[in-house]
Amino acid sequence: MPPGLELRDLTKSYDGFRAVDRLSLAVASGSVFGLLGPNGAGKTTTLRMILNIVAPDAGQVLLHGHPLRPEDGARIGYLPEERGLYKRMSVFDHLVFLGELRGLGRREARRRVGPWLERLDLARRARSRVEELSKGMQQKVQLAAALLHEPELLILDEPFTGLDPLNQSLFMDLLLEYRRDGRTILFSTHVLEQAEKLCDDIGLIRDGQSILIGALEDLKRRFASRRYRLVAQGDVARLDAVDAVERWRKTDDAVELVLRPQVPGPALLRELVDFLEVVEFRPQEATLEEIFVDAVRDAG
Amino acid sequence: MPASHVFVILRREYRVRLRTRAFWISTFGFPLLALLIVTLPVLLLTRSTTSHRLVVVDTTGHVAPLLLERLAEREREGRRGARFEITLAAAEPDAAAQHDALDARVLGQQIDAWLRIDSEGLAHNRVEYRSDNVSNLLTQQLLEVELSGAVRRARLQEAGYDETAVDPLVRSVRLESVRVSAQGSRVQGGQAQFFLAYALAFLLYAVLAIYGAQVMNGVLEEKNSHVVELVLSTVRPLDLMAGKLIGIGLVGLTQLAIWIGLLLLVIGPLGAGALGGRLPNVELPVLDAGLALHFFALFVVGYFLYASFYAAIGAASSNLQEAQQLAFVAVFVLLASFMLFLPVVNDPDSTLSVTASLIPLFSPLVMMLRISVKTPPAWQIALSYALALGFVAFMVWTCARIYRIGILMHGKRPTLRELWRWARTP
Repeated sequence: MPPGLELRDLTKSYDGFRAVDRLSLAVASGSVFGLLGPNGAGKTTTLRMILNIVAPDAGQVLLHGHPLRPEDGARIGYLPEERGLYKRMSVFDHLVFLGELRGLGRREARRRVGPWLERLDLARRARSRVEELSKGMQQKVQLAAALLHEPELLILDEPFTGLDPLNQSLFMDLLLEYRRDGRTILFSTHVLEQAEKLCDDIGLIRDGQSILIGALEDLKRRFASRRYRLVAQGDVARLDAVDAVERWRKTDDAVELVLRPQVPGPALLRELVDFLEVVEFRPQEATLEEIFVDAVRDAG
Repeated sequence: MPASHVFVILRREYRVRLRTRAFWISTFGFPLLALLIVTLPVLLLTRSTTSHRLVVVDTTGHVAPLLLERLAEREREGRRGARFEITLAAAEPDAAAQHDALDARVLGQQIDAWLRIDSEGLAHNRVEYRSDNVSNLLTQQLLEVELSGAVRRARLQEAGYDETAVDPLVRSVRLESVRVSAQGSRVQGGQAQFFLAYALAFLLYAVLAIYGAQVMNGVLEEKNSHVVELVLSTVRPLDLMAGKLIGIGLVGLTQLAIWIGLLLLVIGPLGAGALGGRLPNVELPVLDAGLALHFFALFVVGYFLYASFYAAIGAASSNLQEAQQLAFVAVFVLLASFMLFLPVVNDPDSTLSVTASLIPLFSPLVMMLRISVKTPPAWQIALSYALALGFVAFMVWTCARIYRIGILMHGKRPTLRELWRWARTP
């Protein structure tokens, strides 16, 4: 079965600056893919190319194995990073308008808006003008707009930015529910905590290039193998002199250390016991943040 | 059944604007204001019955009684205008002292003005009117007419003519303009038609500028609020621009239709009956169906021409200030075509009028003026429309390309060279 979404060698330059550089990735149907990267990495440009808002200079976007066509816009839901709505329209009219643009008939769009407003606790504000809503509420209206036409693919650009914890959790629940229905989600974020809770796969990009792509669990294991927790008595400062240790830092009750690539843990332990009284020495599971930092650093 | 993107967008534009209070206030407020500006001063002036305290020093001794006679006739006939309360003063030997004394009475507000009629002045057809307010033009005009009549009467008597026999012989004639057109001839006041042409040209100028600016502001709002990104994720930029232009254009057409309807109410049979009687000597112009049709058609042509330009400006700018600087170009061209009003109305067949009505940037306004005063040859109308439509197609095409790229650009203002590059990008 072809992936729900596939990017092949996607490239885009602006005035000689290469924003996205031969980026390839595949998002399996029914999975959540997190596109991670520092500011200016090319995430938004990538999403805009998937949505046909900007045309790629080279490369292809495939939806279920077929090149993207203009009418595919109706199969995609989008929550842009820059939250913009028509300020003087009522919430209800705005959602109907966006629903119609995404291929719903007017009557059908009107029918669907009500339940979504209930779900997002906005029913009482249906007739309010958008400008009368708080930013968080406007963001909820946008999420409703992205989901109203029940798209196969949902694209979210920094969906959690600016949300209070309560709404973050509401967004999270909705997205998980959406994935359970077998739909595909691609989202960009730099809030790694949420990505960790939501993603099946992640892709790290920097300077428009992919530096790491894979299943989150695999990546955690791969990066975990170099990360150890050490509880020991003795002069831990002598770790500086140990070649196998790439870096280390002291925490409250332990030392976290990262091995150089290709150094097995037991080999280091044999060295450590020469000058420390080791109480505990065990591999750690990396957080996404650690993977992110490591991958960015490794990429130079 | 899903509607086309262009339709969904134009419906939104139309509804949102028609629901604003500003639309209805301007739709009914503007004609009301125009009506008040035109009629109120006339009504007030013609009803004015101010008594003007005037002292007349007549050294000839026979003009002043005739003036009094004429003013009394006026009063008896119940004609409107200022009334005079005249005191005759005999000429004193010391003319300078009398002069100063009467000036002092003017300044002391005891009288409003004084006249000195003497043979020396009359020899040069001059009578001095002295007052602390000389801007009361209508009062002076009335006095001048009556005084001239009195002087003429006095001169005829002096020369031994029978005034009642001469009077009919020296009456002025009035030009009665009859407009000859393919639909038939009719008596039509040149002045009335002049004002109709002026009103239509002004309306066209105003709506083109107002709705062009609305397009520009709408595009800027979409761009700066970033809502455009959401819309463009399913809609092609050209569809968005088309929907926007058509939607706002329909709002303009709706407003114009209401205005023309109101204008017909005022100058049509209903309004003519109601107003004609109240406004003496006011002749109402004729707005026929052909002229009205051309007016709407030229609005549509002019609107797409200017609005596409305004849309491109909105898309290429980052803020209102930047956009307004660029929009000045459009306003300047519009204003320039409005400036052609007098030469075109005075001589609609001149080389200037014909050339301007064929240049697409000027043709909506200039051709409308030409049609409203004298129907031009059919080939000129057809050529004017054809050239304008061709230019509209070029403008829409070019501006849509600039719009497509500019709408997602933020930051520095693009240079002319960059705009040209955007326009050529396939």
